[in-house]
Amino acid sequence: MNSTVDSNALREEVRAWLAANVPKDWRKAMTGTDQDAFVSAQREWFNKLVAAGYATPHWPDGWPGGGRSLADQKIIYEETARADAPRLILFFVALYHSACTLMEWGTQEQKEKYLPGILKGEIWCQGFSEPNAGSDLASVKTRAELKGDRYVINGQKTWSTMAQYADKCLLLTRTGKSEPPQAGLTYLLLDMKAKGVSVRPISQITGDDEFAEIFFDDVEVSIEDRVGKDGEGWAVAQSTLSSERGLTLVELTQRMRYSLTKLADVIREGGRENDPAVRKDFGALIAKVNASCALADQYLLKRISGTEAAGDASIVKLNYARTLREFTKLGMSISGLQGQYFEDFTRGGSQETGNWTVDFMNSYNWSIAGGSDEIQRNIIAERMLLMPREPKNWQLI
Amino acid sequence: MSDANTHQRSDAENELIELRDSARQVLGEQGLAASEDKVRPIVTDLGWLLVGVPEALNGLGQGVAGSCAFYAELGRSLAAVPYAAATIAIDAICHSGVADQQGLIERFTTGELVTASLAESAVTVSNNKISGTLSAVPSADKASHVLIANGEQVALLALKQPGVEITARKTWDETRRLFDLRLNNVALDSKLTLASGTAAQALSTRISTLRDFALVADAVGGAEALLEMTVEYLKTRKQFGRPLALFQALKHRCADLKMLVSSAEALLNDSLGRVGNQLDNANASNAAKATKLLACSVYARVAEESLQLHGGIGMTAEYPCHLYLKRALLNEHLGSGSYELDIADHFLSQNS
Repeated sequence: MNSTVDSNALREEVRAWLAANVPKDWRKAMTGTDQDAFVSAQREWFNKLVAAGYATPHWPDGWPGGGRSLADQKIIYEETARADAPRLILFFVALYHSACTLMEWGTQEQKEKYLPGILKGEIWCQGFSEPNAGSDLASVKTRAELKGDRYVINGQKTWSTMAQYADKCLLLTRTGKSEPPQAGLTYLLLDMKAKGVSVRPISQITGDDEFAEIFFDDVEVSIEDRVGKDGEGWAVAQSTLSSERGLTLVELTQRMRYSLTKLADVIREGGRENDPAVRKDFGALIAKVNASCALADQYLLKRISGTEAAGDASIVKLNYARTLREFTKLGMSISGLQGQYFEDFTRGGSQETGNWTVDFMNSYNWSIAGGSDEIQRNIIAERMLLMPREPKNWQLI
Repeated sequence: MSDANTHQRSDAENELIELRDSARQVLGEQGLAASEDKVRPIVTDLGWLLVGVPEALNGLGQGVAGSCAFYAELGRSLAAVPYAAATIAIDAICHSGVADQQGLIERFTTGELVTASLAESAVTVSNNKISGTLSAVPSADKASHVLIANGEQVALLALKQPGVEITARKTWDETRRLFDLRLNNVALDSKLTLASGTAAQALSTRISTLRDFALVADAVGGAEALLEMTVEYLKTRKQFGRPLALFQALKHRCADLKMLVSSAEALLNDSLGRVGNQLDNANASNAAKATKLLACSVYARVAEESLQLHGGIGMTAEYPCHLYLKRALLNEHLGSGSYELDIADHFLSQNS
């Protein structure tokens, strides 16, 4: 559909726009700041991107900014990484998870009700995980009981990113039997201001509180806000989870490659550019970072050409998580004792901020969230290497 | 959310896929670690030495990527054939200004063996005479000529002449036959000079870069085949009344290995895509080095783990785990040596 000439034109256009619009010194402004300041900076950046059409390239034709091919979306992400622009963390669920789920499963009324709000900056959060449904997502227990034309919800969700700021929530509930666990799940759209919803931020090891718990006490949701049929929630949730199609890891691996210069700076500042031990670790890391970029890039090309195989996405994510861990560990190692002194952290950028101990701690986000390394290994072993699945009925011996 | 872009394979890509598939089949028929005597005639007869030779020189014009596909297939099968060394020398001839270029290419692709060192050489040229040592030269006893490249001079040297001392060096890896060459004031034949001066520097870079890619592809092919073999073994071997492949402790290790092999393969594809056929510059050389470092360490890791995952049987000479392991270990030490430092220094010098 697009020729290379058009792709190059898009790349140049995006590059020029970013050069003119990325807030100057945003890193400095977002270091040591509180969450409210972060939220308002994210809003400002969101509005700029929406106005330029770069927040919604993945939306269908007819929507502002929509109708871009996956190849063009890749260009926008690559350029965003290159420009070291802030990441649109606060709006990711709304723009991808909510929008893509609605585009695929939503009724016309639901699309009209919710999509314009997303473009206006409504914040969405994801209500999937629960204290006892993490890796084993299908075992969610938050109950939704149909009474007349309303579901009445009771239960608890957790690990919901920025839920304390959210206007709306994608909620996976249990309405039916739990055998098999994937059956009997129902997908609802919840107004976070509804009566009976309470949110409690979770204080993290970095001192930040990006995640929150959500509690539901007889919360009512209209049947009109159900996505898909009653009992179809698992299938809808799969669409939600696959909505970003590998773009995030293209962006993050590219950002990681650009961040190698930050490590180089630390090496030079410490006068260690002739230290063979440091150079050896750095050289080995560069090769791994390049491989992570190559994997993410080729995965997206496979998606573009429709040649993706089961497990490919897991390879990319597992590899990124491992490389990121090594990257941040090397940063810590080179920083020595200095890296152990507390320093204010930076919000909203690449995973490699140069505050290496915080970066190291945050690298666990990538090895735990979104399907832990262990889940990815199961997928790779079972779906790519076709090794047998665990037997179902286990007992302690 | 729609996508009209679909990748159409070019004729050249289709041709390469066919070539590679037939190579896999032919090599499969020979069995693992087939001998040099068995495989060398096949390599010559089927024209595999012409894969990377440009079409203008009557080759198949498949470029570096084409050669890499064959290095990978030979790596999979552990064939004991000096294909990499021969093609590195032939490639140097193709990219040189040597007088009888076409004649030399014909000789070395139709039966006469040319070889090259798979490691860094330490030779000096003065008054048109060459001295020093070349190590890790495959099949030097059967070759008529060896490629010499030291950045100042690139030449072919006849092996059967006074001043050339050939010593067999038995390696743990039984799928390669390596030799040391000691050269003592051996006169260079001007008709066999491939490049000198700045041209020699560029060609020497091309040679070491192609050598790195050859080792990479060998590693990727070997690692892939070995991991497949290991996973198959775990699926059939039973202990405690269940296949070993059912144990998550083992599955996860295999998954990690699969991830690593995929990363090496992806980096190889990426690097080949970036450099194309331009191997004679610092960026290409650096890309090849990073790829070599990663792929060879992945191969060694897969080989190390695969032996353990096979258990006792992996320690037997009968089982091929050790053949892969020894080739992987040797691969790590072939090439130019200080890869990590070179990559780091390249980065630090580029981004200062």
